[in-house]
Amino acid sequence: MLLQLNNIFKWVKTGGQQTFLLKDINFNVEEGEFISIMGPSGSGKTTLLNVIGMLDGFNEGEYNFMDESVHDLKEKHRADLYKRYIGFVFQSYHLLDELTVQENLEMPLLYKKLKGSERKAMVADMLDRFNIVGKKDLFPTQLSGGQQQLVGIARALISNPKLILADEPTGNLNSSQGEEIMGIFKELNEEGVTIIQVTHSEKNAEYGTRTINLLDGRMV
Amino acid sequence: MFKNYLKIAWRNLQKNKLFTAINIISLSIGLSASFVIGMMIYHDMTFDRFHKDGDRIFRVTTSFSFGSGGQFYNSGVTAPLGETLKDGIQEIGTTAAFFTIYPVKVTSEQVNQAFRNPQGVMLSNGDYFDMFSYNWLAGNKKSALKEPNAVVLSEKRAGKYFPGLLPEEVVGMTTIYNDSIVVTVLGVVENFKERSDLFFEEFISLETANAFGMQDQVFSTNWGGTNSNSQLFVKVNDLEMTASVQQQLDALALEHEDEESKQDGDITSFHLQPLNDIHFSPTYAAYDYSQPQASKSTLKGLFFIALFLLLLGCVNFINLNTAQGFKRSKEVGVRKTLGGSKSQIRYQFLTETFLLTIASALVSILLSMWLLQLFSDFVPASLTANVFTEPMVIAGILALLITVTFIAGFYPAMILSKFKPASAIRNQLAVSNGRIPLRKYLTVFQFAIAQIFVIATLLVGKQINFMMSQDMGIKTDAVVYVDMPWHEKSIEKKERFLNAVKSLPQIQTASIGGRPPASFGYNSAGISYFNDQEEVKLDLQQLFGDTQYADVYGIELLAGRSRLNDTIKEFVINEKAMKLLGFTKPEDALNVQLKISDEVFPVVGVMKDFHQRSLKSGIEPMALVGDGYRNIGFSQFNSVHFSLSGGSETWENTLVSVEKEFENAFPDAEFKLNFMDDMVSRFYLQERKTAKLLKWAMGLSLLISCLGLFGLVIYTTEKRTKEIGIRKILGASLSQLNFLLCKEFLILIGIGFLIAAPVAWYGLDNWLQDFANKTTLSWWIFGISGIAMIALALVIMSAKTIAAANSNPVESLRTE
Ligand SMILES: Nc1ncnc2c1ncn2[C@@H]1O[C@H](COP(=O)(O)OP(=O)(O)OP(=O)(O)O)[C@@H](O)[C@H]1O
Ligand SMILES: [Mg+2]
Repeated sequence: MLLQLNNIFKWVKTGGQQTFLLKDINFNVEEGEFISIMGPSGSGKTTLLNVIGMLDGFNEGEYNFMDESVHDLKEKHRADLYKRYIGFVFQSYHLLDELTVQENLEMPLLYKKLKGSERKAMVADMLDRFNIVGKKDLFPTQLSGGQQQLVGIARALISNPKLILADEPTGNLNSSQGEEIMGIFKELNEEGVTIIQVTHSEKNAEYGTRTINLLDGRMV
Repeated sequence: MFKNYLKIAWRNLQKNKLFTAINIISLSIGLSASFVIGMMIYHDMTFDRFHKDGDRIFRVTTSFSFGSGGQFYNSGVTAPLGETLKDGIQEIGTTAAFFTIYPVKVTSEQVNQAFRNPQGVMLSNGDYFDMFSYNWLAGNKKSALKEPNAVVLSEKRAGKYFPGLLPEEVVGMTTIYNDSIVVTVLGVVENFKERSDLFFEEFISLETANAFGMQDQVFSTNWGGTNSNSQLFVKVNDLEMTASVQQQLDALALEHEDEESKQDGDITSFHLQPLNDIHFSPTYAAYDYSQPQASKSTLKGLFFIALFLLLLGCVNFINLNTAQGFKRSKEVGVRKTLGGSKSQIRYQFLTETFLLTIASALVSILLSMWLLQLFSDFVPASLTANVFTEPMVIAGILALLITVTFIAGFYPAMILSKFKPASAIRNQLAVSNGRIPLRKYLTVFQFAIAQIFVIATLLVGKQINFMMSQDMGIKTDAVVYVDMPWHEKSIEKKERFLNAVKSLPQIQTASIGGRPPASFGYNSAGISYFNDQEEVKLDLQQLFGDTQYADVYGIELLAGRSRLNDTIKEFVINEKAMKLLGFTKPEDALNVQLKISDEVFPVVGVMKDFHQRSLKSGIEPMALVGDGYRNIGFSQFNSVHFSLSGGSETWENTLVSVEKEFENAFPDAEFKLNFMDDMVSRFYLQERKTAKLLKWAMGLSLLISCLGLFGLVIYTTEKRTKEIGIRKILGASLSQLNFLLCKEFLILIGIGFLIAAPVAWYGLDNWLQDFANKTTLSWWIFGISGIAMIALALVIMSAKTIAAANSNPVESLRTE
């Protein structure tokens, strides 16, 4: 089992009043699954994804990731964990504007303190795999949305994550670009990468093996 | 990784050109001020630090406190003290007594030219070289100064008198002092390589004293006289013994105080002045009179100016970077999801700061050149760019850059690296956590400092104006005096020159006398007077002049008459002296008998008070006296004073004639016209320097603060574009919008003023205490500077806010 969420609650206090963002979330994810999270706007999808990605904490419940109890870990340890195993893909790509495509891909490797030659090889490999060698010296603003998202996925993949978390990866793209991206996710999943995506589109959800529906922070 | 940081930093700096420029300008102003001032401090702090056992070497100096009031300091000691200390005090290992002398000219065997007024000449028996080690290039330290008519030259001086000769060749050559004293060079020593106040270049054997007419002083056994040319250094065996040495010096001073002084309550005491205090001492002068004495308080002032400018620059950096934080929050969030740790992100921001600091340092090197000129009044002549090559200085500069990087960069890096990735990516920053952002405190700090400088500049200017516009009580326009050579003994020669001047056209009155009525000089005598009940003792300043003297300077007589002739022992006292003697009406003071030692001087007149020094000091008791001691060889009449008629543009011919007559009378002497109005304005040189410095400190601190303000305003208006658009659609007017945008900053500037005003008031009130005649600390100075600051800030802010308020609301909403 890759991860397990048991009775997760998350709330914020606004003006003395407790607002629940997540209520009693329970589910397991096996390695190799492709899960879609769906639900209306404001239902807590992003919040849940951030909890899974360890970018955000929760108030109650247990979260086990690869036999580690995330709820008991210190922040630094948690960061080490997601650094090693999780790649993020965002709706608005979130590439670093002042870095070129190539440098964006290299960034996670730099933070992992890999050697220069190793980094070069891995970046070249990724550029090849996503067919963007010709774009390597361009800056993100010089690319189309679909191309930017390609780079975003390549960047998430470069450190060989076990799990990819994608928050509406096609939300800013037209339908043909969207299909291309979903195709890539499917391929990756077939290669063994676990994927959890948030999506509003039934069609995209069908790429997945399982769908989790949220409403007001609760699984339905 | 570091390379990558640099690359990103560089691209970021390029992207925000305006902010980068603001940061670089503010930091480089602070840095260049620190470079220049730091250099000056380093320069002055490194004098005479290199001598072997330097911490145990002391100069013995003398201070006098008179029963009649008044405290005097003399950097020399009475001549017999040196010999007494030599074997007299056990704790003293080495003593070195020497006498500084001022030959009129030197000629060398080799160069066919007279060198006038050589500086750095001493008479020494050679002990000096035991105290301070010199590198001997030729000659023998043991024997060089044992015989009469011998001299040791420094390498530089030897090169000047005997150009082209090697040190060994110079030995055996002869030089001639004052046309008649022939001495042989017996040694050449290398000049000190390090900075030193011991600027001596020519060491003449003590046995030659006779030839210079110094035998009476040099070999005197009389403890009564103290001359600053008689210098004494001692080296104590152990620093802990200084207290005991001081006690024995006190005992010696007491033992040799003469009876009369004891009765008068005069106290002479000797002091041990540490070697490295010579450079700074405000009371005991160093040797090179052409260099103003370094002042620790000036250095302190300069230090604070540099510190403040640097801090203000750092503040801009901190403010602009934390303000911009929201722009970079997304980046921080993404980097964290990519695996960047807090410390890696902090390190990245610090690299950016360091890059900026380096860029600022490069800019500030250029600025330093300019600042060096700006501060030229404060920069010692011996401070050159060479200091930049000293390892200590280079290390210091590096340390400064790193410190600045941390001060400026650490806080923003901390704040930015703390952003939580989940909320940072959402652009949802926990800004409003209820605390006032540091930014606001820093802005208040900046404007408080700038405000203090503004108030100080205005007040110092006001005080100078006040002093300059005050009537001195004497005529200072169109009055000139000329000093005659001090070694000229013949009064006939001097009077011949006076008469020659008198006969020139345009000369209204001319007089012969001592120093002018207002000067830096000081000459006083303790007098006593018995009124009906008690003995009044008074330290009475003496102004020497002939019977015309009062006319030249327009000194008014209130009662009595002027003196009968130039040498008669009569006093014309001023009102202050009259009051201190116990009289209220000038007439009553006439014919009173004043005693100096055993001699009796009648008061024949009372003159109106005038300011004898700058208006910094008060009026002191004074008497106009004649040249009473002329016949025993102490003539005080060394200057010719005259007043001119007509406008200054018509004086040229007359003044040229004065010079001709002077050269006729004293062919060897230097001629210099001293205009009284110049003299008066020189009284305020120090204040003027302060004013100039303050003006620049004010200008620069305003510049930095306003740049910072401008940056912050750009940031807030950008952040509030949407709000402005909406408000405008809802019908807000231009001035309402402008006020809305400026309000926040105006409040901060206002708080800055509230902090600055009392601090400035306190500091300036303190500063004014040094002046006997002071201007008032008027409220309007504070008012004007506060209003000016707000006006300036409004102008700067409006440049941006009006444009923002004017922009098309539809446009600004679309870009959101
Ligand atoms: N830090 C927070 N403080 C208060 N409320 C929050 C916070 N973060 C999220 N919320 C609220 O929690 C709810 C869920 O937010 P979330 O972003 O997870 O929704 P979502 O399902 O991703 O919506 P969308 O489809 O629009 O992206 C929203 O109502 C949001 O306003
Ligand atoms: Mg969402």
